[in-house]
Amino acid sequence: MLKIEDLHVEVEGKPILKGIDLEVAAGQVHAIMGPNGSGKSTLSYALAGRDGYEVTKGRVLYKGKDLLAMPPEMRAAEGLFLGFQYPVAIPGVSNIYFLKAALNAIRKYRGEEPLDAIDFMKLSKEKAALVQLPDELTKRSVNDGFSGGEKKRNEIFQMAMLEPSLAVLDETDSGLDIDALKVVAEGVNALRSPQRAMLVITHYQRLLDHIVPDVVHVLIDGRIVRTGDKDLAKQLEKEGYTEVRDAQQL
Amino acid sequence: MIHLGKNTKSTIISKGISAGHGQQTYRGGVKISRGATNARNYTQCDSLLIGDKCGAHTVPYVDVRNSTAKLEHEATTSSIGEDQLFYCLQRGLSEEDAVSLIVNGFAKQVLKELPMEFAVEAQKLLGVSLEVAVG
Repeated sequence: MLKIEDLHVEVEGKPILKGIDLEVAAGQVHAIMGPNGSGKSTLSYALAGRDGYEVTKGRVLYKGKDLLAMPPEMRAAEGLFLGFQYPVAIPGVSNIYFLKAALNAIRKYRGEEPLDAIDFMKLSKEKAALVQLPDELTKRSVNDGFSGGEKKRNEIFQMAMLEPSLAVLDETDSGLDIDALKVVAEGVNALRSPQRAMLVITHYQRLLDHIVPDVVHVLIDGRIVRTGDKDLAKQLEKEGYTEVRDAQQL
Repeated sequence: MIHLGKNTKSTIISKGISAGHGQQTYRGGVKISRGATNARNYTQCDSLLIGDKCGAHTVPYVDVRNSTAKLEHEATTSSIGEDQLFYCLQRGLSEEDAVSLIVNGFAKQVLKELPMEFAVEAQKLLGVSLEVAVG
């Protein structure tokens, strides 16, 4: 599904990612853990194609295609979804209208008929229930005046609506209380499927209690220093990032 | 806006959009005449900038002849943020559609007050003029 080879990324001339190799197969959930400033968010933005995240070396294959050659909206249409760490507000644009525009843009790209209002509403009701998103929130402006938890739930709701083949979730757990974390995790789990790959970026092992990953990577200073199974996350929680890094150097 | 009678209230909402090298100016005149006791006016001016070579100017002119009047003025200027744009792109919208979506959201407060026929037309006009400005 996704194959990253020796990826180097610079932001404002400063190297952040210094050679990432990563392979995610369909149906797998990979977790990327790491301390602040290790390059976790940079990786997610580079994959999504944000301006200012310059790839200086390496390549990324997505479904066998060269991901880095595509503009961001094409990556989205190809089924790449980024769950934002800080979702942006768009005042005056209702959530549901925004999603309908997005969904139909993606359908158009795939050569499918746009979804009409009735089918769309049916779909959105069904998916909103998945993350227990109140009806009222789907009608409000996109993320405008949403609480932290509501924003994150809204991201998962959007993910459920757009049905991506690769979802990158950037610190979806940050700012969530325990109950909201469970709701979000359940939403994510419901979307796990053999056709879908997920990259879950997080600081804490806490989220991984609920979303059990197939593989855990530890990202420190722009490199993946350790890769293991879900027990690695537990070890990290106990010993901290420094220990793990130092153990690697020995 | 001219207030003549007692306890009269008015609201002005102005939304301006500048793109390219465009400059926009809001000039509002609110007059409270001597007999307009307890008159109230609320004026809100919002400007949206698209690009970094345009500007917005606000000149709220008031002429008050009755000291019991209450007038408020609020002005905001915002631009379409790179983060807003990227958020839309990441969801699969083209840049053009994203800008039009954000602009329509901005103008909605005014558009929704218009009768349906006008609102539809205004929205389309907005789309057309943006195409020229952005494309």
